[in-house]
Amino acid sequence: MEKVRATVDKKPQSAPKVAFFKSTEKRDDKWSTLLVEVGESQDRRAFAELFAHFAPLLKSFAQASRQDGWFPGLAEDLVQEVMIKVWQKAGGYNPQKASATTWIYTVARNCRIDMLRRKCNTQHLPLENEDFWHEPDEETPVSLLRQKRTEDHVKQSLGQLPREQNEILRKVYLEGKSHAEASQELDLPLGTVKSRVRLGLQKLQILVAPEFREELLND
Amino acid sequence: MTKVLNHHPTPEMLVEFSAGTLDTATSICVASHLHFCKCCRDEVARLDEVGSQLMAISSPETIDDALFDKVMVKIDQPQPVAEAAPAPKTGISGFPVHVNKLIHNASKTPVWKRLSSSMEEAKLFTGQNKFEVALHKICAGGVTPKHDHRGLEYTVVLKGSFSDESSVYTEGDFIIRQPGDVHQPMGAKNGECICLSVQESPIKLTSFLGFFLNPWLKVKPA
Repeated sequence: MEKVRATVDKKPQSAPKVAFFKSTEKRDDKWSTLLVEVGESQDRRAFAELFAHFAPLLKSFAQASRQDGWFPGLAEDLVQEVMIKVWQKAGGYNPQKASATTWIYTVARNCRIDMLRRKCNTQHLPLENEDFWHEPDEETPVSLLRQKRTEDHVKQSLGQLPREQNEILRKVYLEGKSHAEASQELDLPLGTVKSRVRLGLQKLQILVAPEFREELLND
Repeated sequence: MTKVLNHHPTPEMLVEFSAGTLDTATSICVASHLHFCKCCRDEVARLDEVGSQLMAISSPETIDDALFDKVMVKIDQPQPVAEAAPAPKTGISGFPVHVNKLIHNASKTPVWKRLSSSMEEAKLFTGQNKFEVALHKICAGGVTPKHDHRGLEYTVVLKGSFSDESSVYTEGDFIIRQPGDVHQPMGAKNGECICLSVQESPIKLTSFLGFFLNPWLKVKPA
């Protein structure tokens, strides 16, 4: 399986420009295809391949957490919980909407929050984090295409961000720090943290909607 | 659902929502706004790509083979019934699923308590201790007392509309109030308005009556 991963990684990261126009926007990377197979026919071989690729990344994601109440021993619990959810929910995966990586990341993020909330709370929690992601979307070919472009762009540009912007995004997404916590840790004013996050995201061509421009001014 | 809204959460809130670092009560509000706002849903979907790619390029950790076997054993076991409680069939039509779930968990239907002749409140239990989370209902044309805020307050309009001195707020609008923001909400004339609101601290009535009532206003985070 290691061999397979190596060949996939060598593939050019972005499709040629022509493909952009005739593409059906369906994710056809190896992992998305495998995830569809798990969803459609409970294919155990496909699941084993997904596990071999994602479990090490999920563990890395879990170990990166620096949230209150989180400890390293939870990492394998998270991997387990996420991979079981992947098996159970694969039927609902739509490769047009997101890549397998993104889909699995969102499962992991939601699991991590729920594990933390369960740890910090003795009462029965009335909501799970995935309850917040229930909205079915009326996707159009254009919106799907845009989402695919964001995905490709983020993939290409993440490595080119200035060090400090990369650092802050890692703090927020991987360590799970709020802007306020990051500002304390880095000993930077909150405004500086916010603007670094924004600059980084704008370079990734996220946070571009005009209505947000207005919000940015009002803040 | 495709209408363009004027009042959105801040970009920071969407980032923290996507990264999973936003507190529960504020997340409930942001998710309620997302229910109505396609443009913010798309923004969050884009933001999710950042976390996803950061995870994808992180250096993989070694996984013990036994873990795979453990997972395979678990997926072969019959699923516990508790897994993903189905969305409640009750609730208020047009409301976000998670809000209906909160209402359902609390009492099947909202338990309204009268606050004034024009306003009712139904508190919700959300399992956190930072904000009080409640539904507020303003009757058609109802005028609420003018007030200031002693802490942060987020409001999302779930049904109908209301207005204050600065704007008109319709379904999905996300309103942020801070200490010093004095306003007097008024329900639209054409029907009742229901909002979800989370409050850090009680409001502060600015009228003469407030002098007597303010010391008694409390919030109970739950």
